[in-house]
Amino acid sequence: MNILAVLRMTPDPAGEFEVREDGSGLDREWVDFQLSDFDEQALEEAILLKEASGGRVTAIAIGEGANRALQMAVARGADEAVLIEGEPGELLSSRWLAEAVVALARERGTDVILSGVQTGEDLFGQFAPYAGAMLDWPHVSGTSRIAWVSGALHVAQERGGGVTANYRVGLPVVLGVQTATKVPRYVSGSKLREASKTSIARVSVSDFVPSPSVRTLHLKPLVQAGGGESLGDTAEQVADRIATILAERGLTGVRLV
Amino acid sequence: MKILVCTETRSGQLDSVSLEMLSAARSVARSDDEIVALVVGDAIEPAAGRIGSADRAVAAIDGTLDLPTAEAYARIALEVVEAEAPDLVLVAYSSVGLDVAPDLALRCGLPLVSYVVSLTRAESRLSVVSQLYGGKVLASVDVDGRAVLMINPGAFPEAPAGAIDAQAIIIHDPSASLRGLKIELLEEVLPDLADVDLAVAERIVCVGRGIGDENGIELVRPLAALLKADIAGSRPVVDNGWLPKIRQVGKSGRKVKPKLYLALGVSGAPEHLEGMSRSDLIIAVNIDPKAPIFGVAHYGATCDLFDLIGALTERLQTEQAQC
Repeated sequence: MNILAVLRMTPDPAGEFEVREDGSGLDREWVDFQLSDFDEQALEEAILLKEASGGRVTAIAIGEGANRALQMAVARGADEAVLIEGEPGELLSSRWLAEAVVALARERGTDVILSGVQTGEDLFGQFAPYAGAMLDWPHVSGTSRIAWVSGALHVAQERGGGVTANYRVGLPVVLGVQTATKVPRYVSGSKLREASKTSIARVSVSDFVPSPSVRTLHLKPLVQAGGGESLGDTAEQVADRIATILAERGLTGVRLV
Repeated sequence: MKILVCTETRSGQLDSVSLEMLSAARSVARSDDEIVALVVGDAIEPAAGRIGSADRAVAAIDGTLDLPTAEAYARIALEVVEAEAPDLVLVAYSSVGLDVAPDLALRCGLPLVSYVVSLTRAESRLSVVSQLYGGKVLASVDVDGRAVLMINPGAFPEAPAGAIDAQAIIIHDPSASLRGLKIELLEEVLPDLADVDLAVAERIVCVGRGIGDENGIELVRPLAALLKADIAGSRPVVDNGWLPKIRQVGKSGRKVKPKLYLALGVSGAPEHLEGMSRSDLIIAVNIDPKAPIFGVAHYGATCDLFDLIGALTERLQTEQAQC
């Protein structure tokens, strides 16, 4: 089985998001880029699938620090590392990236493409369904478990409300992973050092061109409406205030006994 | 302008986001515009009884569409878009919509704007606001011409849920779309609620990424016990295996409405807010003052999370000892 895993470097979701004064994009000087959470899950799913069915995993990465992600992917079990070079737009356009990855998938006789279900900057749509539609392959987004059973994939998808749908789908397929079947594996420092010697192939693609009918991208930080009442500054003040509020509303456990 | 709203039904109920999309469509429609609701399911009810705010409906009904796969939905939607040629197509940011919207946009050659929370129309131009980066940044986009928009659940009020005139429903035969599907639905698995059903819990202490690791959750357990609350987690906590899936709150977890929702280290991504923003009392503690959770919290604090857990636990223990 020939597996492609897509790895995107995106701003740390837990970090600060400073927007440039003219609103044209994030002030990247202050942004810490890391492998998208969902893509990390997709990478683990790709390695698990390789272990279950045989085959090869090619990790394809893009963005600031992508070399680091590729080395980590090799340390986890990817067989090949490919860096995509090209200007992806102010926000990494998944539609643009899908075109690049689809071209690689066609060249390489790929059976399965795995990516994270979404990123925080998928303003113009998500990768897996774009890639699936471009290739006219089936695609499932929001997967939480994937198993190789009798020549087909059994895929679990979160349908909301805690409901899971289980599907059978043959190859080739594109999957947008939400959660890998297992928690992403730990990689030792020695494996990472070894992986740092891996050669990384480079693929140049044309720069992103915005759609002519979607204009003027302007970003601004979310300003909280209302924001609620502040409970205080110190932990002790906050604890006292919470205890009082709960008591007033009859919500402390002790009041119910 | 013609606007096609791709409604969704689930377990015999019209999903509330369908009514929200109808209201979003109505908010930018003029008197000579037309709003068309697409209904995909195994029966025209329950949708027909609730989508009266649409001018017309196109119904693709088949016994196999009780829980339609996104593949089936996208094929049907593509046929309907080609037949109706709408200017705007509204799709929900849902498990189905995530696959349908980009697929449809690509195959129809239309631009797509995701995570939409606001729409304004001026002349021929549509101004769209979307949430990015877990709701921390808003992006404004001008759309000039036809487009697909993926609408965030909870961003628009629900349209009035009246019945649509039976004469306004056009039946679309989906049989051609349903031939040769490549994805087979094997089963639908409902959550095992034997241990806990957060949907009916009265008090919830929810931990987020800020809790750090499994050890952090252990620190929260005595506090939850004192509050007689169930412990829940946001997606990163569950993805890391620190709490079981059944304890996840949000888009892909449980939707909750407790009397108390104490959010500890939860940033409040839109997917999380979708599951808990209607709680009676929301108290949020997060070191980041810009965390979107504060947008829905009734009370908030940015003090050190672990100091607070310790102080509140001690305070409640003292109260209990005094009783």
